[in-house]
Amino acid sequence: MTGTTAQATAAAKVSALQAALRAENAAVYGYGVVGAHLTGTALAAATSDWIAHQVARDSLEAMLRSSGSRPVAAAVAYRLPHPVHTPAAAMLLAVTLEDKVAAAYLGLVALPGAAIRELGARAVIAAAIRAASWRGKTVAFPGFAAGALSPASR
Amino acid sequence: MPADRTRRAVLVATAVSLPLLAVSGCKGVGALAAPPSPAPDVAVLRSAIAAEEVMIARYDAVMTRSASLAEGLRPLRAEHRQHLAQLRSRLIVPPGSAAAPPSPSALSPSGPASHGQVPAGQASHGQASHGQAPHGQAAHGQVPAGPVPAGPGSVPSGAAAAIPFLQAAERAAAATLLHQLAAVSPSLAQLMASVAASEATHVAALTAAGGTGQA
Repeated sequence: MTGTTAQATAAAKVSALQAALRAENAAVYGYGVVGAHLTGTALAAATSDWIAHQVARDSLEAMLRSSGSRPVAAAVAYRLPHPVHTPAAAMLLAVTLEDKVAAAYLGLVALPGAAIRELGARAVIAAAIRAASWRGKTVAFPGFAAGALSPASR
Repeated sequence: MPADRTRRAVLVATAVSLPLLAVSGCKGVGALAAPPSPAPDVAVLRSAIAAEEVMIARYDAVMTRSASLAEGLRPLRAEHRQHLAQLRSRLIVPPGSAAAPPSPSALSPSGPASHGQVPAGQASHGQASHGQAPHGQAAHGQVPAGPVPAGPGSVPSGAAAAIPFLQAAERAAAATLLHQLAAVSPSLAQLMASVAASEATHVAALTAAGGTGQA
């Protein structure tokens, strides 16, 4: 591997980690909104997921710092993809947040290196499990936009 | 009406994987020329395809033998069919290449023990809190020790035993895919990770399907 290639690889890794961090930051913000509209066991689940995203965010920030990069900062606020005034809308937001987190971690899976790919894949799995729980059903290709893989037989 | 439409919405903008999707979409065209290194992808793809075929056969067998489960299992089997179709679409073997024939041993997820915690997130998540059935057997997130029997003929006959059987198969399949990520191209690694994630979500869904099926 040439020096230039190594630099490009390192840059790609930082870029993918930052993208994952942006998604985690958005999820941390978003779950605050989600939880505000839920009660009982759903609120408990939202709180648990909110914490999971905080932990993931901290982990990504640590990885970026250890590679000499400055982690992207969270925004003060995020525009929500749709109005959230009801529990159903809150759960839909949670699904959206998880889908975007899963998509971001798929970026790590495309990097060279067994460890980073596995780390990314495990994060995709975790997000997919949370998404399925909020969605109430599973999907064939977590992390990919619906229809992106154009199922041949549907 | 929010006036801050100039604020860029990170929530709406996660398009990280899209460029890679585009890469994978170009693969068919790229295959007209000599692919750079098809061998690892082909071998892994063949084993992943075989694994999905066996998985579908297991669902077929369970649904045939336990009609009460069929309704709940149908959507999961449909997702496996989508996995299979997508994996097959990636299998592009250049004519005349000496790609190895599918190996029967590729079917057995022999070494996932050290990576057995694939669905561990399962246990840490809110279990029944979103209305899904509890999953006691997944509480420790462990893949069963031995490899899952390869043939659909080994499917247990009772509905009660069929659910844990399928859950073990899903866990093992996901673990096997994770094991193979490092060996393949970026776009195939992404597909395999996504398939593994789908299979991991099936574990809880199977618990729910079993609960309704036996009710």
